Amino acid sequence: MNKKIFFLLLFGVVASVQLRAQKAQAVQARRIDTVAVAILDKMSAMIGDLGSCSVTVKSNYDVTSKELGLIKHSDEEHLYLHGPDKLLLKSEGDRGGRDLYFDGKTLSYYSLDRNQYGQIEAPASLVEMIDTVSRRYGIEFPAADFLYPTFVDDILADSKELVYLGLTTIDGKECYHIAGMGTDKSFQFWVSDDAFTLPIKMVIVYTTKPMNPQYEAVLSDWQVNPTLPDAMFDFSIPLKAKKVKLVPLTAKN
Amino acid sequence: MQISFKYSSVVFAAVLGLAIVAGPQRGMAQRFSHGGGGGGNRPAPAARPAAAAPRQEARSAPAARPAPEARTVPEARPTINGGSRNNGNHDFNRPVNVRPAANVRANINVRDNVNVYHTGAYRGIHPYYYHPYRPYYWGPHWHPLGFFLASLAADATWFNFNNQRYYYDDGCYYLPNNGGYSVVPPPVGAVVPSLPDGYETTMVGNDTYYYFGGAFYISTGQGYQVVVAPPGAVITELPTGAVDQQVNGEDILVYNNTYYQPITQDGQDAYEVVPGPGQ
Repeated sequence: MNKKIFFLLLFGVVASVQLRAQKAQAVQARRIDTVAVAILDKMSAMIGDLGSCSVTVKSNYDVTSKELGLIKHSDEEHLYLHGPDKLLLKSEGDRGGRDLYFDGKTLSYYSLDRNQYGQIEAPASLVEMIDTVSRRYGIEFPAADFLYPTFVDDILADSKELVYLGLTTIDGKECYHIAGMGTDKSFQFWVSDDAFTLPIKMVIVYTTKPMNPQYEAVLSDWQVNPTLPDAMFDFSIPLKAKKVKLVPLTAKN
Repeated sequence: MQISFKYSSVVFAAVLGLAIVAGPQRGMAQRFSHGGGGGGNRPAPAARPAAAAPRQEARSAPAARPAPEARTVPEARPTINGGSRNNGNHDFNRPVNVRPAANVRANINVRDNVNVYHTGAYRGIHPYYYHPYRPYYWGPHWHPLGFFLASLAADATWFNFNNQRYYYDDGCYYLPNNGGYSVVPPPVGAVVPSLPDGYETTMVGNDTYYYFGGAFYISTGQGYQVVVAPPGAVITELPTGAVDQQVNGEDILVYNNTYYQPITQDGQDAYEVVPGPGQ
């Protein structure tokens, strides 16, 4: 009996030591470059101070096909924002022509190709609306991550590495180049090296998904604090457009 | 008829929902998780990115101006996201739980000082960050360029290099001068057996350099060889004798024909070796 208790205790100690070792391996030291953080802080502060803005986002993203590998798709979107609660997104590309209007209460989705529209009630603030709509309906807004007030903290919360690589040029504009590694993705940001310090490009590689699909977005034609009339965020039902119900994501999704 | 119309509406709705969500696979996460990341403990102040600091210039006193009229402060303008909540409040020391290394693919393998972009004269890898020049002294046995000693310490060594006899002691190089010895720039190519305590190690790409008292070295089989300061190298201290030069509105320090750009790294003032004019 004593022998049994002894071996049980020994087994418990060994198992505990192994578990601790595994945990120690799992928690790795981080390498965070404060220069990269400072650049992202300044970018985030600039965005946080904008009363309104507009930007063009050209995105390319990979869709995984078992037979053909990674298939690249692209969209071009024009985003207009007016604080605190108005948004207009006009999108063209592989997913067809789509418009999204948000007037502070209602998000209206309009498909130009099908002449159909759907509407949902959404939280009042822009970021809350974007976040809620994304979680519930899977509607993504281009490069919306940059709009989150806690963007830098959110990046740091997931990053094992965040480094500043240097200066480079994107479409003739000098940019700070930052790269990072998260738990399930690697990412790169290019931030303009000028008075406005705005995001110019983003690349994400999903390191844990098969074939490592990528998402790339290039932001251009930034307009800072333009005058945007409220009327442009109001959705008028087009002639003969059919109303349909926007379907929330199911648990299986 | 009515029943079939209802049915077709449901189908349209489902199709529209699926079109938004699924095709082509927009539903896959292109975004970062936003858990409202807390600020955590307040660490060392975040570094400032490149912005030319205002220079101290001599000015004549401005003419007296009448007191400004009182004015009402305009109401705060609503912003698109309520304002950033990140500024300077980051916990850099919190480790991240990661999966085992086998499941993580390192797409990038860089070091802090990698010169990925050859950006030309006076542009370093790190953004310019002005901080005042404070000359550094590497202890009582170290002396700046030009310093005269009547005699050397008993443990000073000597070596012949380029038809000259140099004397070496605690990171300083001497040549006989006027009955004594004067500190001279370290001769590039000379090898010394060891470096004094307090030397810095800095990486440029995959190469390791050592820095002490304004001189850069690489390790060889015989000791440490003096080398030309490599562009991209980051060091924390400069000796006395550096000269401030204004280049494109930035203060660049020049010491022993090497150009140093003030930067910040990990919250500390530092300098990066940058190419000089015409290099």
